[in-house]
Amino acid sequence: MTTAVQRPALVRSSDRMIAGVCSGLADHLGWPVKFIRLGMILACFAGGAGVAFYAWLWTMVPTADESAKRNARRPASPIAPAVSLPPTAATPARASTAYDAGLSPAVRGVPAASGASAPGGQASGSTHGAGSASGFGATSADDWWGGSALASWFSFRKIQYGKEILLGAALLLVAAILIARQFGVDVPLGTLIPAAAILGGAAIAWMQLDETRRAGLVDKTKADQAGGWVRLAAGLALVVAGVLVMVSGSGSWEQTWLALLASVAVLGGVALVLLPWGLKFWKDLETERAGRVRETERAEIAAHLHDSVLQTLALIQRRAGSEQDVVRLARAQERELRAWLFSDAARESGLLADRIKSVAAEVEDSHGHAVEVVTVGDTQMTDRHDALVQAAREAMFNAARHGGGTVSVYLESTAGSTEVFIKDRGPGFDLDAVPDDRLGVKESIIGRMKRHGGSAVITSSSDGTEVRLTLPSATVDAGDQRNNDVRNGEAKQ
Amino acid sequence: MNTNPDSGAGRRVRVVIVDDHTIFRSGLKADLDERMDVVGEAGTVEQAIAVIAESRPEVVLLDVHLPGGLGGGGREVIAGSSALLGTTSFLALSVSDAAEDVVSVIRAGARGYVTKTISGKEISDAVIRVADGDAVFSPRLAGFVLDAFGTAPADIADDELDKLSARELEVMRLIARGYSYKEVAKELFISIKTVETHVSAVLRKLQLSSRHELTKWAAERRLL
Repeated sequence: MTTAVQRPALVRSSDRMIAGVCSGLADHLGWPVKFIRLGMILACFAGGAGVAFYAWLWTMVPTADESAKRNARRPASPIAPAVSLPPTAATPARASTAYDAGLSPAVRGVPAASGASAPGGQASGSTHGAGSASGFGATSADDWWGGSALASWFSFRKIQYGKEILLGAALLLVAAILIARQFGVDVPLGTLIPAAAILGGAAIAWMQLDETRRAGLVDKTKADQAGGWVRLAAGLALVVAGVLVMVSGSGSWEQTWLALLASVAVLGGVALVLLPWGLKFWKDLETERAGRVRETERAEIAAHLHDSVLQTLALIQRRAGSEQDVVRLARAQERELRAWLFSDAARESGLLADRIKSVAAEVEDSHGHAVEVVTVGDTQMTDRHDALVQAAREAMFNAARHGGGTVSVYLESTAGSTEVFIKDRGPGFDLDAVPDDRLGVKESIIGRMKRHGGSAVITSSSDGTEVRLTLPSATVDAGDQRNNDVRNGEAKQ
Repeated sequence: MNTNPDSGAGRRVRVVIVDDHTIFRSGLKADLDERMDVVGEAGTVEQAIAVIAESRPEVVLLDVHLPGGLGGGGREVIAGSSALLGTTSFLALSVSDAAEDVVSVIRAGARGYVTKTISGKEISDAVIRVADGDAVFSPRLAGFVLDAFGTAPADIADDELDKLSARELEVMRLIARGYSYKEVAKELFISIKTVETHVSAVLRKLQLSSRHELTKWAAERRLL
């Protein structure tokens, strides 16, 4: 039926004169855009066929953006007309089912599609007249999932382009009629136009119903929805107008108006009757969507817990003999989980408090001692703060290595200065007794702080050791502090 | 942590443990030393309120996150037992460490807050201290207080609730640095009783301050 030439999808291009139809068409067909535009303009003089064709494509062909959005949800279709449906699942099998379930009336006429083998058979079995109802009535879930099972043997390819080809044929017919008229052939337009309007309007409306329904299931962007309703209304209007003109036998305008009024009233009544039913349907959609979102969330949480907590628990069981390992694993896992649960994406990372915390985590991991970090205030990192973090890291390592139990780290950052306290509860040591060649304390902590204009004070007793690192702000704007606190000296240091 | 000789050798503190995890409750029960009797346990908000009203303990060890009730957790238990606040003290226990949770349970009337990773000795000391009418601040709670109230001291004459005095700030800062009450007392050359007075004063300010920033601050600072 069609050649399987791979063409770029038919989308409205951003390189546009009016709506990007011509350049999109040119891309799709592989013809120079100039010819297409020329052809389109020429066609406009052929009884306005070009205008109609252009308007048609404008309405029905998605823009490149829309198309990309759709394709993100399913594999690219060789043709991406607006009437194609964006199904939920990304598998080709389901995509084809969706095509089928969403068959436009036009395609139902194609023999291959109307066969009883089609999963959408129940839908296509409904008559055209009842089409608008059956479009809704064919339950989405049933032929959707049932169809996916059948899809393996359902030879969908046969009618893949059926819709488009039928459309093209219809347009060609219109063009032929218009051209024939140009040459003076008498065509009964009075009958043909209303009939065409009815057919066209019904087609638009039915396509739209399908699309709206599925779009609602997948995700309803407001714009899609609004466009859908507009097109549905347009389709209905076309049908009503066509029927009226036909019935009234191209009578006077007055008569037509009256009839129009009456039919609108009838339609309104029908709408009123169907409204609660429609609302219920809408609610079902909402519920299903919310359920899906919850499901996704749950799956994500489960995946995370599996990767982190369950793995850690397994490790802990295997290392149950080593208390230190168990503590270390538990602490690391706790940290990770906390970060995952409470991390605030809006919060800027890379600030001093975060750096201190990550250093503390590192110490905790390597020595198995808990390091409790309390921070008050925060500030942007600078080179000098880097030095502060390095010194604090060294002090934490010392505390974890020589001290016992929990290491307490306190960071206070104000406009005037930044201080870090590292306290352990070890046996303590005599600073003066530390030989000069021991780089740890003298060089990495005291020396480093001095070089960057700060200071380090170490107090040690039998109750434990505390390292106090102070880094005055270099300039007033060095810190982005929440208030202009004046540091009050402590009673005794 | 310091031992508290005031509590007396013969006296035993009646304790109710409220936590929805049975394993944690039994572990905590085993951790509490001989100075206290566990007279009741509860796992939900409703149970907790009923058990507390019935057994009238001196101290309730209260998990911040509890099922049941209106979803308010520990806060709701305190509110539901407000008639007993004069005789019963609440010590909040939490794994969450989220400022919002901690500050809200303290403002509801808890006398202190400790993390669940605390050792058995420390929790026992904390229970005794709360039973004696003092406040128990963990380093992290002290950090919250400093963050919320700011590190600038109030004027000396100023007894307003929205600021901490210079001395209170010093005490808070030392606690945040990991000092025990005894170490704070030694560091500042004051008695332990004075330290406890300062901490209680801070707790009072934390509970009574109308400073709306406090709540806002806690809500904003979800991370910890």
